[in-house]
Amino acid sequence: MSIEIRNISKRFGNFVALDDINLDIPTGELVALLGPSGCGKTTLLRIIAGMETADQGDILFSGAEATHLHARDRNVGFVFQHYALFRHMTVFENVAFGLRVKPRKERPSDADIRRRVMELLGLVQLDWLADRYPSQLSGGQRQRIALARALAVEPKVLLLDEPFGALDTKVRKELRRWLRRLHDEMHISSVFVTHDQEEALEVADRVVVMNHGKIEQIGSPDEVYSSPASPFVYQFLGNVNVFHSRVHGGFAEVERSDQPEKATAFVRPHDIDIAHATFANGMPAKVLHVHPIGPVVRVELQHEQEIVEVELSRERHEALQLAVGQQVWFRPRQMRVFGADEQPRSTPEKQPFLF
Amino acid sequence: MKTNRVLPGFGLALGYTLVYLSLLILLPLGGMILKASDLGWSQIIDIALGERSLAAFRVTFTASLLAATVNGFFGLIVAWILVRYPFPGKRFVDALVDLPFALPTAVAGITLATIYAGNGWLGRFIEPLGFKVAYTPVGIVVALTFVTLPFVVRTLQPVIEDIEPEVEEAAATLGASRWQTFSRIVFPAIFPALLTGFALAFARAIGEFGSVIFIAGNIPLVSEIVPLLIISKLEQYDVLGATALAVVMLAISFVMLLGINGLQWWAANRHRNNEPLEVAAGKAKGGAA
Repeated sequence: MSIEIRNISKRFGNFVALDDINLDIPTGELVALLGPSGCGKTTLLRIIAGMETADQGDILFSGAEATHLHARDRNVGFVFQHYALFRHMTVFENVAFGLRVKPRKERPSDADIRRRVMELLGLVQLDWLADRYPSQLSGGQRQRIALARALAVEPKVLLLDEPFGALDTKVRKELRRWLRRLHDEMHISSVFVTHDQEEALEVADRVVVMNHGKIEQIGSPDEVYSSPASPFVYQFLGNVNVFHSRVHGGFAEVERSDQPEKATAFVRPHDIDIAHATFANGMPAKVLHVHPIGPVVRVELQHEQEIVEVELSRERHEALQLAVGQQVWFRPRQMRVFGADEQPRSTPEKQPFLF
Repeated sequence: MKTNRVLPGFGLALGYTLVYLSLLILLPLGGMILKASDLGWSQIIDIALGERSLAAFRVTFTASLLAATVNGFFGLIVAWILVRYPFPGKRFVDALVDLPFALPTAVAGITLATIYAGNGWLGRFIEPLGFKVAYTPVGIVVALTFVTLPFVVRTLQPVIEDIEPEVEEAAATLGASRWQTFSRIVFPAIFPALLTGFALAFARAIGEFGSVIFIAGNIPLVSEIVPLLIISKLEQYDVLGATALAVVMLAISFVMLLGINGLQWWAANRHRNNEPLEVAAGKAKGGAA
């Protein structure tokens, strides 16, 4: 089922949670709503689910008006960050709940319910826990049960609100991969909310980056990472070095020397070259720190008043043999410049810098 | 035996608790039972089964059960409204709930009797309809309901506050109606607390005296409660008779409260499985592999 979101706005008192949001989610897609806390992503998800009503705008499911449909009639599965399992019911009864509350005419027989629930528990690989209570399960198990419960009513849309937020890193990675597989097997549309950019980039078909109740960018994980549409997206997705033109007279004014403009240049730490000897367009700097972090080595350089973060591969680092306090030269390989109006400026492939 | 506890002073605190409870509860009750043992079993039973005392027992326990039940129902609604919905004057209403605690019960009884009397504010409207409240057993129920309302409301409030709204939202997205959500999700969660509130209200109602005697009319065999019968026996210097009634009342109350607490314990614990976590974890490893 496709979801269309048309001009949705929502305020809480004076706080604008969502400001004229438009978004299309085609059938079968796994979409991530990504943004910092308070950006409105959860509110948007809750409006799609029918747990919150928008002040303005419409929600369409498969092209049909669904704005005023009650949550129970929307046929969506919802997974909460803190599981929201029914504490007084066994795992089996939790999953069976959605089937048991169906009107008598549509309700499957007890045998059918049993078969369906055990099938779902098998799908989440927890059928051996059927007669347990939620309090006896680990966080990862609880979230899998919550997912099985949501899937029991065969929803057309699966909505997940920070589903892995309360889990530890290892379990989180496992569940991510598993969610991706489940989504592909079930042929449903899924929307999940996260503030973890790695999670969004790894799992989703499409990433919707949000900030202050607005959508900053919609695109594939690769698009939002490699060609961010705004300074916010650049900074939110991964580490970045920010150069202000007022600090470096040469930066970013380069190509528009006829009409100097205040601008900001963004460079990813892994897009910077370091050398011992000076080279064309290289800038001098002093090595402040060298931190080997797993597969990469993070180097902090001091260039005049600014700290520049550089990420080197282990091989490159071994070739360079950087020592703290050493004088080196560095040069960005790639950068992106945004004007004061936050619109991207064209940056030529070569020589973006002027010194 | 030396154990390392986080909080010191366990021995002192336990000793204090035992002495305190003994002085306050066990000593007076023990004295009463000792006094009653001057009579034989048969005499105690004879007194308790006397026509007048039997009627008083029936009135006391029936009225108390009714009052606790009424409060169990309406107290739940009051607590629910106070926790879940914002409305103007909510804090004022919340404070009102405590008033029955603060008001001298005799004042409550006199007030209720005046209102429900044939010429009172409410009585003048309901008596022509055939409902007589003041000076009947119904009046006793009204007085007991008034006095015991705070117990149910105050026991339920924190428990209702504890229910995550997410759980109800989850039920809604799974297709449950409001009623299904309440009966299958919310009610089981608050049931143990409701029983506790019920037990407290019931216990308080059994012992209530001040408010009842002003509205009950105190007609022997009809609207006379046990505490009043005890007083009247004392006024006739029948101390042993009064003690006998008191002991029987104590025994019945004790058994009933024990029953309610047992039920409450069952309701609160039936959702726990006692298998140690390590065993479950072991199975988890085996099962997930």
